[in-house]
Amino acid sequence: MRSTTRYLLCLILALAMLVSGCASSLPASDMQSGNSVKSTQKAPQTAQNGNEVKADIVKITVYRATLDAVYLVPEIHQITRNESPAKTALELLLSPPNSKNVVSPIPKDTVLKKLTIKDRIAYADFNDKIIKNNIGGSASERLLVGAIVNTLTEFPEIEKVQILVEGKVIETISGHVDISEPLSRSIEIIKK
Amino acid sequence: MYRMILSLLLALLLLPQLVLAAPANSNKALSSTPAVQIPVFKSERALAKVQGLSKLEITNVRYALHKDAVTGEVTLRMVIDATGPIKGTAVLNDLPVPRLEVAVGGASLGKLGSQQKLDGKIASQVKLMQVNGSSKLVIDLENMIDETDYRIFALPRDIKADKPYRLVVDIKQPAPPIVYNFTAGLKGKVIALDPGHGGSDPGAIGPGGSQEKTVTLAVAKRLQTLLEKAGAKVVMTRQGDRDVYGASATAVDELKARTTVAAKNKADVFISLHADAFTKPEVGGTSTFYYRKSMYDGLLAKNIQTNIIEAGKLSDRRVNSANFYVVKRSVMPAALVEMAFITNPDEEKLLNSPQFQQKMAQGIYQGLDNFFVEASRNGGGR
Repeated sequence: MRSTTRYLLCLILALAMLVSGCASSLPASDMQSGNSVKSTQKAPQTAQNGNEVKADIVKITVYRATLDAVYLVPEIHQITRNESPAKTALELLLSPPNSKNVVSPIPKDTVLKKLTIKDRIAYADFNDKIIKNNIGGSASERLLVGAIVNTLTEFPEIEKVQILVEGKVIETISGHVDISEPLSRSIEIIKK
Repeated sequence: MYRMILSLLLALLLLPQLVLAAPANSNKALSSTPAVQIPVFKSERALAKVQGLSKLEITNVRYALHKDAVTGEVTLRMVIDATGPIKGTAVLNDLPVPRLEVAVGGASLGKLGSQQKLDGKIASQVKLMQVNGSSKLVIDLENMIDETDYRIFALPRDIKADKPYRLVVDIKQPAPPIVYNFTAGLKGKVIALDPGHGGSDPGAIGPGGSQEKTVTLAVAKRLQTLLEKAGAKVVMTRQGDRDVYGASATAVDELKARTTVAAKNKADVFISLHADAFTKPEVGGTSTFYYRKSMYDGLLAKNIQTNIIEAGKLSDRRVNSANFYVVKRSVMPAALVEMAFITNPDEEKLLNSPQFQQKMAQGIYQGLDNFFVEASRNGGGR
C-alpha cells in the first residue's frame, strides 16, 4: 500500500511537471491577467509548493511594455536565490525581454550603478544613458518609470522607489514624469 | 495517510493548469496572483479552519498613503488585520461630517484602542466601535467623496510574506474643492501656451529628423493667432527656438520657468504642447494628460482631447491622469497634449504639415472654448 502510494505520487508529480511545462510555453495571452510571459521552462510548481519547495528558487517579476505602448505586463523569471534578489530583478529588467510580444521600456545601455534599500525605500541609481538614450515622449516615460517602480515594489520590503541618475535626485527623465520624490507602485498602468 | 493528502493536494494543483493548458480563456476569476498559487491558498485556509483558528478578532488597523507613480493619484489605504477571513461592507454618509462607515461582520475588536488619527489629507481619524459580536469603523473624511472613490476588499493570509488575513479599504483623494470664477467665452481669458522643449533640448526626434521642439512651436503659434482673434490674451512660455530658463539650465529650472511664466501672468489655464515617442515606429495616436489639482483639470483635458481627436482623426489614446511635472506644478488648471507620435513616419509627416498643424490648433481652440462653457456651469459665478 505504502509503495503504491509512493508510486502514484511520483506519477502525479511527473504529470504536474509535464502540464506546467506546457502552461509556461503557452502564448502570453493565455496566462494570468492575459499577458504575463514565463521566461523559463523549469517546473514552476517548485516555487509555490510551500512544503517541499527547493528553497533556492525564487520568483522574480519584471515589467515590460505592451506593443501599443499603453500598459505594462509582468514577465516572470525563476532564479536561484542570491543575496540581493531586488538587484537581480533590476538587472533582468535592464536586459532584453524574452518575448517579441512585449517591449522593454528601458533606454539602451542603461546600467544600474547602485541599489540601496533603507526604511522601505529603494534608491535605484542609474547611469546617464537613462536620460541620453531615452526616446522622449509621455508614453515612453510613463512606461519607463512605471516599470522600474513596479519591478522593485514586487518585493514586500520595498514600499517606494526613488530613481537616481548618476547619484543625484532629478526632477524628470525627459521632461514629463515627476520623479523628484519616492514613488509608490502604479496599479493603473498594469494591464488588467 | 499524510501521503494521500499530499497526492490530493497535488491533484488540486494540477487542475487549474489543465484548464490553462486548454485553449479557452477560462481564467477570468484569477486576478494578478499566478494561477498555480490558488490551490495552495485554498488548502491552507481549509487547514486553518480545521485547527480552530477561526475565532475572529481584529488585531490591528493600519494605514498608508499611496501615490501612484504614473498617474499621480493619491489613495489612503487602510488595512484591517484579523485572525481569520473577514468581510466588510461600507456606506457613505454626509452627516454630520463626510464619513465612510465600514461594518466588519462577526469580528470583535480585541485589544485595540477606540480611535486612531489618520493622515489628515483624505481622512482625519477613524473611530473603532464594537457592536455585539461585530465591529464598526467610522472614518471621518476631509471632503465628501463619490461612490466610485472608494473600494473595499478582503485579502487572504499570506504566510510567505508574513501577512495575516486582511480587509482593505482604499479611499481615493477627491479633487480639492477649489472653485474658479470661470465664465463662458474666450474673450479676456489669459491662456498660457507652452511649446514643449526648445533651445538646447530638441525633445523627441522622428525617423525623418524632425524635432519635437519645432513642431510644438509651430502649432503654438497657430493657436496663439486663433486665440488672440477671439480676444484672449496669450502668454507663450517661449516665442522662438530657445530654452525658457537659459541654455545652461538644469531640467528642473527649465520646467519650473515654464510654470512660473504662467503663474506670473495670472493665466486662467496652462496648455503644454508635445509630440509623443516610442521605440516601435508603428505606434501612433493622440492623448491628453492632466493632474487632479482641482475638478477643472480633468474637464480641460477631456474637452481638448475630444476636439483634437475630432480635428486630427488619429487613434484615440484617451485622457490620462499623470504625475507630470508641468501639469502638477502649474497653479491653474492645466493639460499636456501629445498631438501625435513623431516616431511614427506617417505622423511625423503630419506634424510637419501646415494643414495638420492648423487642425491641431483648431482642435485645441475648440476644446478651450467648450471648456470655459462647461466650467462656467460647474463653478462659475459663485
